[in-house]
Formats: sequence, structure tokens, C-alpha cells
Amino acid sequence: MSVSFQNGRYTLPEYPFRAPPELAGAQPPHPVVIVGAGLAGLTAACALAQLGVPTVVLDEDNTVGARGVSSRGVSYARKSLEIFDRLGIYRRILGKGVRWSIGRTYDGDEQVVEFDLAADSSASRQPPFINLQQFYVESFLIERATELGNVDLRWRSKVIGCESAAQGMKLWIDTPAGVYTLFADWVVDCSGARGVLAETLGIRRRGTFANDRWCIADVIFDRPLPAERCTWVAANFNDGRAAWRHALADEVWRLDYQLDPQANPVEASSEAAILGRLRSQFGSDLHCRIVWTGAWSYRSECLERFRMGRVLFAGDCAHTMSPFGGRGGNSGIQDADNLAWKLAWVIQGKADASLLDTYADERRAAALENIRIAERSGRFLRPASPAEQAYRDATLALARQHAFARALVNTGRMSLPNAYSGSRLNVGRGGGRSIPNLPLTLPDGREGDVAQLMKWARGDLVAVVAEESAGLTSLEARFPVRIVAGARLGEARAALAAACDCQEGDLLLLRPDHYCAGTFERGDVAALELALRTLTCTTTTPLSTTGTRNS
Amino acid sequence: MHNYDPAVDDWYEELMNAHRGLSDTQSQRFDAALVLLLSNQVGELPKLRNCLDAARAVVLVPEKR
Repeated sequence: MSVSFQNGRYTLPEYPFRAPPELAGAQPPHPVVIVGAGLAGLTAACALAQLGVPTVVLDEDNTVGARGVSSRGVSYARKSLEIFDRLGIYRRILGKGVRWSIGRTYDGDEQVVEFDLAADSSASRQPPFINLQQFYVESFLIERATELGNVDLRWRSKVIGCESAAQGMKLWIDTPAGVYTLFADWVVDCSGARGVLAETLGIRRRGTFANDRWCIADVIFDRPLPAERCTWVAANFNDGRAAWRHALADEVWRLDYQLDPQANPVEASSEAAILGRLRSQFGSDLHCRIVWTGAWSYRSECLERFRMGRVLFAGDCAHTMSPFGGRGGNSGIQDADNLAWKLAWVIQGKADASLLDTYADERRAAALENIRIAERSGRFLRPASPAEQAYRDATLALARQHAFARALVNTGRMSLPNAYSGSRLNVGRGGGRSIPNLPLTLPDGREGDVAQLMKWARGDLVAVVAEESAGLTSLEARFPVRIVAGARLGEARAALAAACDCQEGDLLLLRPDHYCAGTFERGDVAALELALRTLTCTTTTPLSTTGTRNS
Repeated sequence: MHNYDPAVDDWYEELMNAHRGLSDTQSQRFDAALVLLLSNQVGELPKLRNCLDAARAVVLVPEKR
């Protein structure tokens, strides 16, 4: 089953409802139940499956994407692509999607800003961005989850109730075959912007609605266009309001038009209105096929807590923001990847459950940072007062001659990995930095990269040491860590040290989500042991392997 | 010796003259452009924040507690 595209129309796969054992009276234990089979939920399911943790995924729909709604997320950032590389779907995304790195911003017909994201010369195996309709990415994740096994995908299963039970949560699930209850040790809520589980549990959501309406038109053109991100702050073909153009798969183009807030959104997003704008943009001789249209607006919201006991919140149900910069879907994917290894450690007895609070802390700080950055773009695109309008007009006018003013033009700051600068898991210099997917030699001699190194470590930390010793290696029996001599990683050692902000030869400790936990100038056994206690949230000895030592 | 600084008066005069013939909207945009250009010249966030505070202080009536 896959997405098909014929005669300018998408047909999304439909997944069957199968009656679960609970409907026949069984009550099998479930370590993790994920609510919502979107980007965050499916990333969590695949990551947990790869770490050996079985999951049940509940989705109220029976297809990818939102029914009747076209693609929401369109731009996948390098960090998400690096995660997808470890999960095993990056090749498919690369094969289907559109790589881009050049962005242009126009004021009227005049280009005022140009950037090339490839100019940062990152040594990562992944490009800065790939554009792809979200339903493709979700269908790849579903196929991968099925391939990995241990993911019980339950379609047309809507959570209608939730309460604490002994040692976990009790959920009521509504299905075409009736309502059943299900017990989960842990619940990961990835139910999207309309999710209600958090409210049910009494967690407050704070935020603002933006008075800014837009209209999407996904279009196939009769002419080739460059695969670049083009934005207009004030487009002549859109009555002086903003507009967007982005390349998607299947030679579909995502056009997005800012609407007059006073206009009737139904009229303004009608096919006739859209064709009018398209002809005014591309000429009256334009022939095109409209694949999908729809009006949208956005809000900025964040839950006050991302963890409540045995329930964890990830993706849009935890935070929503304006789409400028592509921070919504990407942050959901990165939430899921931050959570997966921590949850696996807790379930497998490798860490104390308080490790999950660091998920909440790190990703809530990331969400607030993303919201703040996305709000700035929203404000530039829709000035809130005559004073803001005057500053924007002045900025655009100055941008034609002054580089400093070009830096102020803000139609979206493209999603980058958030640094976890304030995290209590940071145990040394460089802690909280995201590590690019650098090519390196794997400990088993194969050529690989950081993602494959972390896959090789099977969800454990990797401590890269100057020289292996019996003392250091003995820590492997007591903590979730693999000790690797730097020399075994080949030429890449220097680049890895630079990414972690330390000297070659320092001990560096890498997390399963490709973040640096910290580095040590003199990495002795005592220092590493202390760091490992911090990372497992154990003050004395870890929970499962109580003090068994390799002598 | 002057009891004033002629350079200061020169600048104030030029600043006023710069607004001559501008509509209110143009004046507002001119000021915005000037603030942005001057901010770039100052270049240091702490100094700029002090200026923001000082400007707000003369515009806003302090809140009574």
C-alpha cells in the first residue's frame, strides 16, 4: 500500500481496522502506547522498535496525512533527515523528495535577499533540506515500522478516555467494533494540534492566535521552475501581500498566498481567485493543474508540561507555531527522537524514570525557542501596528543597499537543531550540542557515519576515548555505554572533536540522539562514571545491573 | 568661548530639516530607517537596550504600585 498520484490527484493508502485482542477480552500488557500516527508518533514507534521496545500506535483515521487535507509539513531539515537515516528511511526520502538549499526573498519584483544553506559546508551526510509531502514521509515510516516489527498499528482507534491506573494508564478506545480498554505502562501523546489528552489531564496550554490568514495552492505547471525557496514579503501579484513558492515531489509546487484578513476566506481561496493570482504571477498564457487548495491560519501554543507521570507529550499536541522556517514537523520528529532512547532506557531498567523529566525540559525549552523564532517571522510578515509597518518598510528599502538590513528581512529562519544548553544531562564542555552526521569508520571496521555508530551502539551512549583501558571498559557492564578508542573511528576524529567543541584526544560522550553529552580533557574512569550516573539519573548504581563488575 | 556646542545645534537642525516636505507616513518611515542605520552603527546590544529604556522612560508615565 502506498501513495499514488495520477492525473493530478493523490490517492492515499487506506489501512484496515483489525479487531485487537482486547475486544476479545484479553488484556495483554503494553509497555508503550503511542496516540497518533503522524510524524512524531511514527518516528517514536520506529525509534523505539529499533531499540527493542514494542509499541501500540493508535490513530483515529485509517490513512496518512489528514483526511481531505493536503500535505502539512513540506520541508525536512538536516537534523530530521539524520534521524531518518538512522531509522532507515532516508534513502527513500532522498529518492522521492526535492533537495534545495537556495532561498530568495523579493519585495515587489525586486530580489532583496538571497541565501544558500549549502554554503555552511557542513560535513553531514544529509543536505540542509529536502521537500516532500508529509503523507509520503508518513507512509515510509509506516512501511518501516512494519518491517521492524514490534509496532502494533491500530487504525480507526480513537482515544475517548484516559485515567491513571496502578503502574500505568488506562485508556478507553473507540473503534468500529466497539469500545475497549487498554492498559499501558507509558503513554506517548502525539495526537496533533487538535489533541485533547493534555486538557483531559488538566495541563494548561498557553498561547496566542495570529490574525493572519493564508491560502495554499498546490499546482502543476506547464513550465520548469528552479527548486528554490522563493518568498515575497509584498507581492505585486498578491495585492502587496506576502507569497510563497516551494518545490514538492511529483513536480507539484506549493504556492501560499497571504490573504487580506478582512476578505472572505472561502472566496479568497476559491479556484477562480487562485487562478487569477497565478495568471497575474506567471502570465495570462499559463496552463496549470491545481492539485489541492485550502485556507489556513496558525496559533502559537505550548503546553505547560511535556510530562505528567506516565504520559509524555510530543509534536503538535505539545506545541504549535507558525510554519515559517519549517519548525513544526521537524520539532515533532526531534521530540520523538529525544524521547525514544530515554523511554527505552527507563523501560529496560538502564536509567531512573526521572530521566524522562529531561525529555520534558530539553524539548519544552526547544519548543519555546522555536515558537519565539517563528513568531518573529510571523510578525515581520504581518506587522501589528503602523510603527511595525514603518520599520518593515524601512528595512526592505535599506536592504537593497545595506547588508545589515538584509539580515533583518525575516520570512522564516530555517529550522536548525536546538542546542540543549541548559540541560542537566550536560556533563562537560560541548554538552547539549547536536552532532552532524559525519562520515567515520565504525568500530567494526565498516565505513559509516555518526548515525550508524549510534545504531551500532543499540541505544547506548558512545564514549570515544583516547585509549581503551580495562577500567574504562568495565563501565560497559554497569552503564548503557560503549567504549570506543578514537583511533578506530579513523580520520573523522578531528571533525568529531570540533563538533563537540573539544580537542582531539579528549574523551567525548555521545548520546543516542546524536547530541554531545559532554567532553573531558582528562577522561579518567572516575570522571566518566560520574557522568554516566548523571545521564542515567542514578546517584549510586544503575537499577538493573546492580554492581556487577567485569573484574 | 561659546556657552553651547555648535556641532550639536548643527546636527539637531539637520535632523529637523531632514523631515521637511515628508508626509507623516514618510516621516515615520524615515525615522525607522534612521533608527535602523544608527543601531547598526552603535552595534552593541547593551548600549541599544539602554537607549530603548531611556526613550520609553520619557514617553511612558511610570506605573504606580
